[in-house]
Amino acid sequence: MMTDEKKGIGTDVLEQQAVRQLTSRNVVEISGLSFRYLGRDEVAIQADNFKLKEGESVLIVGKSGEGKSTFVNCINGVIPHISGGELKGEVRVYDKLVKDTPMSKLCVDTGTLLQDPESQVLNYLVEEEVAFGPENLALPPDEIRDRVTEAIAETGIYNIRDRETYVLSGGELQRVALAAVLAMKPSLLILDEPTSNIDPAATQKIFELLRGLRGRKTMLVIEHKVERMLPYVDRIMLIEKGRISLDIPKQDLVNHIEELNEAGVEIPPTYFYAKQLGLDNVDVTYIRQKIREKGIVLAVPERRKAERTLMQVDARVSVMSKIKGQNTEKVLLDASLNLGEGEVLAMMGQNGAGKSTFLEAIMGYLDKTSVNFKVRLVVDGEDLSKTSIQTRGKYITFVPQTFELTIVTNKVESEVAYSLKQHGVKDYKSKVEELLEMYSLTEVRGKDPLALSMGQERRVAMASALGSGAKIIMLDEPTSGQDFYHKGMLGKEIRKLQTLGYSFIIVTHDSRFVYNYADRMVVLSQGHKVLEGTPEEVFLESEKYSIPPPTDYYLRV
Amino acid sequence: MLLNYILINIISWLILFWGVAIPILILLKFVGLTGFRYVTRFEKHDSFFYRMNPVTKLALGVGATVVASTTAWFIGAGLTVILLILFFSLKDGRRKFMLGIYIIIMTVVGVTWTYAPYTPILVLNEAGFTTYTTIWVWPGYFGVMGYLHDLTLQALIYGMQISMRFTAALLAALVLVMTSTPSGILRGLKKVGMPEELNFAMVVAMRSVPRIFDGIDVTVKSQFMRGLGSNHTKYLWPFYTLYAAVVSILPVFIYLLKGARNTAISADTRAFRAFPKRTYLNPMVFTRLDYIAFVFIGIMIAFVGVAIELGWGRAIPYVGF
Repeated sequence: MMTDEKKGIGTDVLEQQAVRQLTSRNVVEISGLSFRYLGRDEVAIQADNFKLKEGESVLIVGKSGEGKSTFVNCINGVIPHISGGELKGEVRVYDKLVKDTPMSKLCVDTGTLLQDPESQVLNYLVEEEVAFGPENLALPPDEIRDRVTEAIAETGIYNIRDRETYVLSGGELQRVALAAVLAMKPSLLILDEPTSNIDPAATQKIFELLRGLRGRKTMLVIEHKVERMLPYVDRIMLIEKGRISLDIPKQDLVNHIEELNEAGVEIPPTYFYAKQLGLDNVDVTYIRQKIREKGIVLAVPERRKAERTLMQVDARVSVMSKIKGQNTEKVLLDASLNLGEGEVLAMMGQNGAGKSTFLEAIMGYLDKTSVNFKVRLVVDGEDLSKTSIQTRGKYITFVPQTFELTIVTNKVESEVAYSLKQHGVKDYKSKVEELLEMYSLTEVRGKDPLALSMGQERRVAMASALGSGAKIIMLDEPTSGQDFYHKGMLGKEIRKLQTLGYSFIIVTHDSRFVYNYADRMVVLSQGHKVLEGTPEEVFLESEKYSIPPPTDYYLRV
Repeated sequence: MLLNYILINIISWLILFWGVAIPILILLKFVGLTGFRYVTRFEKHDSFFYRMNPVTKLALGVGATVVASTTAWFIGAGLTVILLILFFSLKDGRRKFMLGIYIIIMTVVGVTWTYAPYTPILVLNEAGFTTYTTIWVWPGYFGVMGYLHDLTLQALIYGMQISMRFTAALLAALVLVMTSTPSGILRGLKKVGMPEELNFAMVVAMRSVPRIFDGIDVTVKSQFMRGLGSNHTKYLWPFYTLYAAVVSILPVFIYLLKGARNTAISADTRAFRAFPKRTYLNPMVFTRLDYIAFVFIGIMIAFVGVAIELGWGRAIPYVGF
């Protein structure tokens, strides 16, 4: 028993957590829940009855905007304590009624990890960030130290514990954010798309962490990567149009794949074949063997072979740094690339492999005060190596991951017309009409693009990019944070534009998307091109570079 | 006669824009967004500034401001030079030294131009100038902007002297920002009674600075890619960059606002303001180095008294002195 002097202000937190350990019951109990956001007519989430037992892990799936985040926000207290609205029914976490319990008490039991690590990491140094929660709990410094050490060890970020958070990759930053949550020692973990913005290797690390936490923590995980998440959960819950439309044990998944697929959820292909073939084992090797035994030939996505090279790039980018007093050149990128006319070329690689640098080199975005570079760029026989961004923009257009930052006017139609006007196109109005029509934006032409939904905003950014007249489109991480349904829509859009003569370079971490929609792919590693070919050729070796091939590919080789 | 009139007007406007354009050109051409980001963020390193307690560095900044604002201009200039040389002790010191020089030039030109055209002879007399050399006569209608009839060499010198009141304080502030984490600085401010909520808001704001620069960078380049300025000579592109940067404010602001909700959730789900007081992983400590620095600051302040006694105090009078 601690004396009062030795107790920090927050030692009652320790007692609350100690009591929690001794109880075994439903961690979350929901009855008659209904929530409507302020100013909205429709109910955002409705759940009549939901229970979550201690140590259970539930995967929550569904299309974007259907109520998944709202549901978990009713549990962690964000609703009603941060987001206001009309809340009915009861949500209890460890017997505490969420709406009547302050966030400061709820967060002792419930930890929340969000999708975007950039906006949830608040401090400059990793250690400061991990210590932030325990410091807020006013725990004694020794207890804070122990928690920080433990959380850093658990998430494997010991090697970066002294680093500045703004220099970390997305994957590292997300592990820091998870460590910061774990340092609060919550029993219930809520993870809202924790791997949306990070590369496959970093995603794998997060999943490994979740494997380690399974059973020790109760978990609610919103995740689009169903196939990769399945080994770590007990139940799957589908949220559709604000309602829990399915809540099943993982073992029953095979009996519900049609419903889930119709709801826009990415179902592992092995489950489809297992069902079709009447098998009770969904192991990919087993399924593949059975497919072969039955003589079934699976269709391979069509790969278009370009008739001529449209763009050639040779880029070398480096920085000078001082190592042990010696000026040393660090090569960030040293690679060449050819893009065929009408081709969809995917570029993959770990964070920091040089993919974004490559796109910036092509676009003329590199800053000579920060890096040394030499870029040779030829498009359609014309040497653009020494030309300005504006000139390159006539041939190539670039939609960054943060596409909302490219929107600079207050009307959809003026945004789409921007490039055309700047380039002095006289009959730009007809082209604008064509683009508005093509992207189903006619009805919202007079609205402010930044007030539209994310999907509409992305379409405005694409339509505006096409307005430049460029025939080469570069997309940086267009699949990041997108659900299966919207990724499919994007893939179809790319195929459609391809038939209209557009060529694409797409940077993505999504192997399945690449397998389904790319004609050719390259893999970058440490600034060098290490693999190039069709997806079938590249996926043979891609695992060496931490790029796991998709199951669709495994089933066909 | 008419030709002369037109020529005077053209040159007058060129001079006017020169004063405005030079700092902007230096900012865009030599400092750039990258450079600006570089001198406004903390980077881990090990030298005496980094080992000092942020409170000490805050005191140093206040001390430098007091010295530069209450003594003769050349003392402020000397302090500026000393602080600039100390930039070499920072991480990547040579580059930061060069950026420091550019920022000082920007400040000197900007401040000189802010004062010179408006400073009356009465004030220049008080500053000790007795003879005046007119270097340009403005057209009469410039008076609408508050410009005096003549631009004198002495007014320019006076403006430059005034700028020395800002430069040392500016460099001291940059040293503080470059060598202390925002939370360190704000814990220092808390010690002097600043509320926790305001501290947190400032930590988040400072953490957002790199994101703001990145956002502006994306938006500006995207506008150029989409053809901004393509129909005009490249000599006008710096102005288009400025225009694009202004246009980028709204999308960047909205982008940051969207992230602000996550920031609030991240803070509140980690018990922010759970208790009236926080405890800390690393308590703030003052080392020998801090005590030495405080002695130095004490000497600096004492020197102000000596300088004033020697007639080097407030060599430049305030307006209405």
